[in-house]
Amino acid sequence: MAPSRSSRNSLQSVDLRALDYLTVPSANLLCPICHSPLITPVQTRCLHTFCSACISLSLDRSLSCPVDRKPLSHDDVTPAPIMIANLVNDLPVLCPNRERGCTASCARWLVESHVREDCEYASVKCAKEGCDGMVERREAEGECVHEEVQCEYCEGSVKKVDLESHNRECPKLSSECPHCLQAFANPELAAHMAECPEEIVECSASCYGCSYTSRRSDIESHTSTCHFVALSPVLQLHAERIATLELENKAIRQKLDLLVPPRPLPTPTSSTVTTTASNPMSASSQVSSTTTAGRDMTSEMQDYTFHLYSEYEQLRSDVERLNAQIRELDVKQDMARINEGLRYNDEMTGVRAAINGLRMQLHWLLANRREAGTSSPATSGNAGRAVAGGSANGGEIRRMSDSARQVVKL
Amino acid sequence: MALPKRIIKETERLVAEPVPGIQAVPHEDNLRYFDVSIHGPTQSPYEGGVFKLELFLPEDYPMTPPKIRFLTKIYHPNIDRLGRICLDVLKANWSPALQIRTILLSIQALLGAPNPDDPLANDVAQRWKEDEPGAIATAREWTQTYATS
Repeated sequence: MAPSRSSRNSLQSVDLRALDYLTVPSANLLCPICHSPLITPVQTRCLHTFCSACISLSLDRSLSCPVDRKPLSHDDVTPAPIMIANLVNDLPVLCPNRERGCTASCARWLVESHVREDCEYASVKCAKEGCDGMVERREAEGECVHEEVQCEYCEGSVKKVDLESHNRECPKLSSECPHCLQAFANPELAAHMAECPEEIVECSASCYGCSYTSRRSDIESHTSTCHFVALSPVLQLHAERIATLELENKAIRQKLDLLVPPRPLPTPTSSTVTTTASNPMSASSQVSSTTTAGRDMTSEMQDYTFHLYSEYEQLRSDVERLNAQIRELDVKQDMARINEGLRYNDEMTGVRAAINGLRMQLHWLLANRREAGTSSPATSGNAGRAVAGGSANGGEIRRMSDSARQVVKL
Repeated sequence: MALPKRIIKETERLVAEPVPGIQAVPHEDNLRYFDVSIHGPTQSPYEGGVFKLELFLPEDYPMTPPKIRFLTKIYHPNIDRLGRICLDVLKANWSPALQIRTILLSIQALLGAPNPDDPLANDVAQRWKEDEPGAIATAREWTQTYATS
């Protein structure tokens, strides 16, 4: 039966004070004693805040507040407001198993449950019954690595988990040197391989063309007579120079490419036609034809460059011409707009004058009408109503004039 | 035992933002042991001198004060022949809210304001009270002799 998840809970304890924080916490949330964000914050009678553990340690030594030295006893310390505790518990922290590879980060109050239940790198008890060893959680499902096994060579007992490192160091284990076929103990093999006299090695000037190879013990006699070895300082100097020149060349080529963007050759077909045409003429002229082809290539390149230059110049003049035209058009358009604007302005003043005239006329008409109304209502043309009203009382007249005034207002 | 986070933080800050006129460098093999040098305050008899001190953070620091001692000879009523310092915050008035940098600042201030009424070096304090100009001249002389390189 597979062990349940809960039995895999890590017993690894989390030291909250040793945690690394994802962000730099505000200085206001730090305990004045441990300089870490407060852990179980408490408040003193003088309203200073500390970690619960820090202040009780401090009070064990001196019964005064560490910040203002006011007398203080254990009874004067009360839990700090919940808000402060929440602020510090919410700070994001990095998993304490970060060095083993865990990349998780979470709020501080969750970190303990992360290590206890989730963290793949926390150490948990080995799954095998009766085994007291600890393994990282991600490896807990595999077989027990704490069983003692016997080393095949030195007959010592080694834990499985350590077997690999033991094999590298086991003093009894020996391997054969592939060159001299002698057996050497593991720790000494590497040192021997570097100087085995039987190994076939190349001449030290092999990179300059010497193809001589022999056993390491005999190479010494060759080096003293080898011409390549004698020349190697000069050759090395040349090689270094070529390398620097190549580097320089590369840089210059990059600059050139930047200035002249590569384009397909304008007439690649014509050149191939001429070379293929010259080829069947005679087999003996093949060499000369290739050289002429080479010459063709360089002249073609020059032609191509000139072509590019002329094209570039033409484009530039085109652009300039277009710019001038655009500017001209701009000026023209501006003029047209101003002219139009002037015309509209004139028209507007004309319209405004006309409206003013009309308004004057309206005023005159209204004034006229009002005057006519006050002198005799009968003349207003509504004779019937005037008769029905009998003695035309002042109230009605006023109302009429009132309504007339309202019209003027409107 | 692992170094407490507070000591690591304090050391980082001392190196990153040093106090003007004060240097504190931890030993590579013991991070609780610091080599300190303090520049004598201006307008004091110790002006121009650089005084070397050793500072050790005990196991229960910050609950107990750091142990500090002058290594350079100095003529001062509150510092004795062995370089021990008479400073209240290094003894009874220590508080865990103090730190290395505040203590070193206090010592620099003590150089600027000797207190012969609370002496550690009795002979120096006596002279300081009776013949202050002479004592200051001696202090200046000692600074020249021992604290300038």
